Amino acid sequence: MKTEELREYFQESLCIFNLQARDKKSALEEMVDRISRECRLKDRDIILEMLLNRESLGSTAIGKGVAFPHGRTLAIQELTVLFARSADGVNFDSLDKKPTHLFFLIIAPPQDKENLYLQVLGCVVELIKNASKRRKLMEVTSFPELQAIFDS
Amino acid sequence: MEDQAKLLVALQDLDLLIKEARDSDTSTELKEMGFKLDGVAKLQEARDKLAKRIDPQLLNRYERVARSYDRAIVPVTDNFCLGCFVTLPTSYQSLQNKNQILTCESCGRILYFP
Ligand SMILES: [Zn+2]
Repeated sequence: MKTEELREYFQESLCIFNLQARDKKSALEEMVDRISRECRLKDRDIILEMLLNRESLGSTAIGKGVAFPHGRTLAIQELTVLFARSADGVNFDSLDKKPTHLFFLIIAPPQDKENLYLQVLGCVVELIKNASKRRKLMEVTSFPELQAIFDS
Repeated sequence: MEDQAKLLVALQDLDLLIKEARDSDTSTELKEMGFKLDGVAKLQEARDKLAKRIDPQLLNRYERVARSYDRAIVPVTDNFCLGCFVTLPTSYQSLQNKNQILTCESCGRILYFP
């Protein structure tokens, strides 16, 4: 998957440019609440539980101020991606012990056969390795700005 | 009483997470991306704890169906069972609103109404 293709998986209503939470659980809650509201899902708790379990397998904050909470749950019907940015940073139990500022939350239904979610995840992880894109993402405050980063 | 249907779905999510963490293709891919997956034992513990909160009969039913299929619980969309694509009786929708845990009569999978 090419980074330009990422565009189609993000939507404005699932971007949080000023995440308020400061710790892992409340950050996940804030993000999952947004998804439940926007996608009209009834089982927010199931999604949250899955993401917390995924974190206990190993923190998805793999360093450089970025985390990629992800996983599969029956409580969602299609691949859903949320972007969040925290100016102050979140204690997300990062591998390098530093605060996390950027979040790419990726959840998929179990029946996602082509493992599309792993492809999207891999593509975002790759994008983040680029220091200049990472720096731009840290400053991003609007959806068009975010999309421009995928394109450039 | 806790919502048994929800607990059951959470259990299947957890089983899938454990399965993927143990699957060599998926775990290799994730590790190559930079993720650490060393908490499988913790997940197994969480699984045991969660299973204890589920009614033993229901848990039994889940385990039994899970032996025949990759996934014991499947979603219902537009009145279709997404396990076998059979159309379900319209009465199912109202039954599930009453917190009944329903099974597809055609394939035997447990149904989840999103
Ligand atoms: Zn069926």
